[in-house]
Amino acid sequence: MRRRLTLLIAGLVMGVAAVAGAASAADPRPEVALTIDKDQFQPSEIKVKANTPFTLVVTNKNAKAAEFESKDLRIEKVVPAGKTVNVLIRALKPGTYAFFDDFNKAASGRIVAE
Amino acid sequence: MGGTFVITLREGFEAALILGIVYTYLQKIGAERHYRYATRGGLLGVLASIALGVIVTALSGPLLDLGPDVIGLGVIFVAVVVLTWHGYWMRQHARAMKGDVQRQIDDAQATHRMWIIGVIAFTGVFREGAETVLFMWGLLTQATSTSGWASALGAVLGLVMAASLGWAIFRGGRYVSLQRFFGVTSIFLLLLAAGMFSTGIGRLEVMGFLPATPTAWDTTFLLDDHDFLGGFLNGLIGYRSRPSLLEAGSYLLYFIVAGTLLFRSGAASPRSHAPKDRIPTHAA
Repeated sequence: MRRRLTLLIAGLVMGVAAVAGAASAADPRPEVALTIDKDQFQPSEIKVKANTPFTLVVTNKNAKAAEFESKDLRIEKVVPAGKTVNVLIRALKPGTYAFFDDFNKAASGRIVAE
Repeated sequence: MGGTFVITLREGFEAALILGIVYTYLQKIGAERHYRYATRGGLLGVLASIALGVIVTALSGPLLDLGPDVIGLGVIFVAVVVLTWHGYWMRQHARAMKGDVQRQIDDAQATHRMWIIGVIAFTGVFREGAETVLFMWGLLTQATSTSGWASALGAVLGLVMAASLGWAIFRGGRYVSLQRFFGVTSIFLLLLAAGMFSTGIGRLEVMGFLPATPTAWDTTFLLDDHDFLGGFLNGLIGYRSRPSLLEAGSYLLYFIVAGTLLFRSGAASPRSHAPKDRIPTHAA
């Protein structure tokens, strides 16, 4: 069992490295900043161009972990305290997409694609 | 306090459910001495969750962006495989069980690989574990004010509640016959695995490895999968209040393929039993 688990973990680590490498190599998509501070999203409304994939750069300035989550986008992403996480967002049709912090429901915001 | 309670209960429920089932399973086949496989798997899951939680807070850049997602995906698909295999095995034995209980037990012990139980326990705990660790960690560092303490307490109670449910399954499982337990659990594992498979496909979709599909339905207004009851159904049978077409389709596909595999092989058995293919209402 131990050997199988070791193999499994090794495989996963290699997978992560491969995907991370590929992702960092090709990425000219626009970046949009989003900050979580004092239990609020800044800005709480993000305007993006419709039909264009982009990267949401989420920085958590709180002292506790947050989970960027959007049911509209089906994204769940943990952002540890003081960390920045890039969230790849696919091309969006024009419309409004709500998001919130699953660890702190008081914080919410939305992305407006137009 | 109520908010954090629901979050940890939701995160811990699936793990508790799976652990409750594997311990009951071991107890049912008289393999109490093999509890250690489930215990070690579960403990390794806890350690791995803490480790990932710590690692994630230390990482940055692409590894932080994608690492947890890829690990999460790996865990999901490994879980789908072991749960399917175990469900299949149980189904076969539920059908084939003849003779006295001791023979059934001996047979079960002789033919099932116990390390699979360990892997099931591990994936069950690790799947939502790192997230829970980070969440709890954040709460505990904030537990300096009264409201902070209340939040932390709520989260701890949520985990205690989840563990109690797992324990209740274990206790309740004793009153179910071996054959019925196998029959019911194999169906239930099928639903659980279908839900996980669909979640994994959904992650691949969001990550851009699979094409984006529109929303299949939206029943959030009726039953939100983040609420108390919706969260239970999510852990239990993979209920989603707002899945994409691909997610809903993959659930159905898994269900049909794995279901056919389970039932067709069962139908080939010369002895047919009274209907016992019901969803385990007692498990909730």
